[in-house]
Amino acid sequence: MTGHRAGEIKGWRLRRFESPWVNPKLFWGAGLLLAIVALGIIGRAFWNLDLAFTGAAPLKLPPVGFENLRGQEGAWIHPIGTDGSGRDMLALIVIGAPNSLFVGLLASLIGMSLGIFLGFSAGFIGGRTDDVIRVVSDVMITIPPLLILVVVQSAWGDVSLTMMALLIAGFVWQSPTRLIRAQVLSMKQSGYVQMARLSGASTMHIMFREMLPNLVPYLFGSFIANVTTSIVTAVGLEVLGLGPQRIPTLGRTIYEAINAGALIQNLWWWWGIPTLLLGLMFIGLLLVNLGLDEVSNPRLRKL
Amino acid sequence: MNALNVTDLSIDFPTARGVVHALTDLSFSVARGRRLGIIGESGSGKTTTALAVMRMLASPGFVSGGSIRLADLNVLALPEEEMRRARLRRVSYIPQGAMNSLNPVMRVKDQLKDAIVTHEGRTEREVLRTRIEDAFAGVGLPEHVGSLYPHELSGGMKQRVCIALGVILNPELIIADEPTSALDVVTQRQVMQTLKDVQQGIGAALILIGHDMGLMAQSVDELVVLKDGILVEHGDMRRVIVNPRHPYTRELVASVPLVGGESFLGNSSVVPDVARPREGLPLLEFENVHKDYGGITALHPMSFSLCGDEPRIISIVGQSGSGKSTMGSIMLGFNPPSKGRVLFEGQDVAGMSPLQLWDFRKNVQAVFQDPYACFNPFYRVDHALSFPFRRFGYATSDAQVQDSMHEACRAVGLDPALILRRYPHELSGGQRQRLIVARALMLNPKLLIADEPVSMVDASLRATILKNIYDLKDRHGISIFYITHDLATAYHVSDFVMVLYKGQVVEAGPPKEVIGDPQHPYTQLLIASIPWPDPDRDWGGTTTAAEDIAALDASDRDALTVFRGDVPGFRLDVGA
Repeated sequence: MTGHRAGEIKGWRLRRFESPWVNPKLFWGAGLLLAIVALGIIGRAFWNLDLAFTGAAPLKLPPVGFENLRGQEGAWIHPIGTDGSGRDMLALIVIGAPNSLFVGLLASLIGMSLGIFLGFSAGFIGGRTDDVIRVVSDVMITIPPLLILVVVQSAWGDVSLTMMALLIAGFVWQSPTRLIRAQVLSMKQSGYVQMARLSGASTMHIMFREMLPNLVPYLFGSFIANVTTSIVTAVGLEVLGLGPQRIPTLGRTIYEAINAGALIQNLWWWWGIPTLLLGLMFIGLLLVNLGLDEVSNPRLRKL
Repeated sequence: MNALNVTDLSIDFPTARGVVHALTDLSFSVARGRRLGIIGESGSGKTTTALAVMRMLASPGFVSGGSIRLADLNVLALPEEEMRRARLRRVSYIPQGAMNSLNPVMRVKDQLKDAIVTHEGRTEREVLRTRIEDAFAGVGLPEHVGSLYPHELSGGMKQRVCIALGVILNPELIIADEPTSALDVVTQRQVMQTLKDVQQGIGAALILIGHDMGLMAQSVDELVVLKDGILVEHGDMRRVIVNPRHPYTRELVASVPLVGGESFLGNSSVVPDVARPREGLPLLEFENVHKDYGGITALHPMSFSLCGDEPRIISIVGQSGSGKSTMGSIMLGFNPPSKGRVLFEGQDVAGMSPLQLWDFRKNVQAVFQDPYACFNPFYRVDHALSFPFRRFGYATSDAQVQDSMHEACRAVGLDPALILRRYPHELSGGQRQRLIVARALMLNPKLLIADEPVSMVDASLRATILKNIYDLKDRHGISIFYITHDLATAYHVSDFVMVLYKGQVVEAGPPKEVIGDPQHPYTQLLIASIPWPDPDRDWGGTTTAAEDIAALDASDRDALTVFRGDVPGFRLDVGA
């Protein structure tokens, strides 16, 4: 008890030690991701999004301060240039970046929910249920998602963002299932779960009130890793031209840039800016994941 | 010449909340061929001392003063490479829970070979083989054990492999850190005798670290008593035990329960507050209960009925693997019997409706062995007490729940202001186990299953916690099944004792008969294996433990249970 008081009196360094959630990696990672979300929100309020569709603007206009091969200068009316069909890059980014993040989050959320449900069922019920879930998830984990998705989407034709997220979710539930099953199996034997059974707790109470809170750090970590995987998969499909056809996404923009020969025409802003944003997104996710690792594993924390 | 001289040794651990003095000005020495015991409870600096001698202190701990001399060697000034060579060769360490310190993917004989080759360079194959064989023979293990993997050995055998490993290079000093804390009494005696024999054989000095005064009395010549990193008493073992000078030493000696002699429970003539209403059906009944796992029989058919009109404490004793914990989990309904039925107030536990199950849980509670695992780390400790209290419908208001928790804490000798609202990791093992007893008290069940409730708690606290449990029967009228390997406590606490051996009841009756005057060879062996905190009482006489065990195995396995008398309210039948 004296320890708590002593901690409060001492400086910031010690408080950082006491509350693992105050973590610089977590802070910067979350900051980056929020910045991308903010770009979408603020952009929608202050920028004309109709510019994301083929317009009357000059084609292949560079960002402000640069010149394209035809000697045209960038103009403030299109601050980061236009693409090969005269669409405003800023509008494309404002719509596209949150879309990519959205697909990742939605796919991962669905995948995690499935994983939590299946993992708990397998670990808790055991027996035949466990066998089926385990075998299916082990088999699914060996199938490369991109391969299947390419086939499915090319057969499907155009898809919506939500549809794509659902399809990807079908490939990101296996690892959380395995993780949670393993944790549930070991936790089921633990003293506090036995105590809860003795206390007349219902199965639901044991699962969600006794076990789940202790799984939270793992779930967070697994969730973030899944978001990364989902975005990579989504972008991969889009770059192959298999994503949604009418909705701008970062991957689709890159696909069009490659298709139009942006690389040889030195139209670097066309493919470069979406790539940069994707890079920032992954760095943000990585930092959040590392930060969460330190939160859930005290041995990684520095004094 | 002394094998080890420790002078004014101090060890500090700098932490975020200031420097912790783990050890302050400790001085002692051991001569070759002598055995020194270091005793104290957890956190007293015993293991820290041992690690400092090996120069294996975990950071951030460091030696802040004093010297350690290993014969002519100044340990603290040695370069790392020379220290590495001195380890095992000049000083060997048998760690706590040595069972986990063997490499699981190597045959044990290869691990011994590694030790020799690392320290002595290339050795001829024949020489290696004979040395390893001798080492195994020295610790009483048959030759074929060498080609087994650690998981194929029992706990006692692994411990003996560790001893073989510790002595194979004939070190001058052996440090054994609670080498038997994970073993049952029978194996403990065997392992300790092996260790003593081997140590005398090579003429090394031995430092034995432990918390059990009885074990010390049977094993060492000299005793150092540590409390909070400070030496409180040092002297000849006989003198320290017979005539302790420091109050803490006296407390340690007194904390060991003895068979016979004065009860540690004190005067127990209190009339129970709660009178149990008489019910027609027995509280708990076993009907030919039998349990096997695969082809192995964990529990042979047995029947008993506990009436429950008057509270009783029934002890179930036996070593690990005797089936006593299986019995406990069958009683709790966690583990269905393979054959037979368990009846609670006439109702089969296996086929209960949710409402009946709720009533069963409300009336049958438990205290488990591991106080560390019993609390959900996510919640404050209050959760463990208040949740079942509400769940079983005792709660009328938040204030009343708080009052009951405070009252229960005070009843087991805890200060509620210091204990409640804290997280489990902030409490010691003893405090947690007392809280679990407080929980049982709050729920006021009709029956409590106490499965080794004190085996993971410091010796000095055991008596207090057992007293708390005894009070449950004495003052609150709760019947208790006390599952333990400790016959001395069973002797004092219980009304009836069942001795289990390989899933079979070998002897049963009132404790004064069964434990005071055992008839079955197994019970006799168990009693003989108790380390007495009395230097004059030899630990098993001339026959070694191994011979006793062999004799027991040779004796008739189908021998009938020895019945030594009945107590009213409890009836036991064995066999189908």
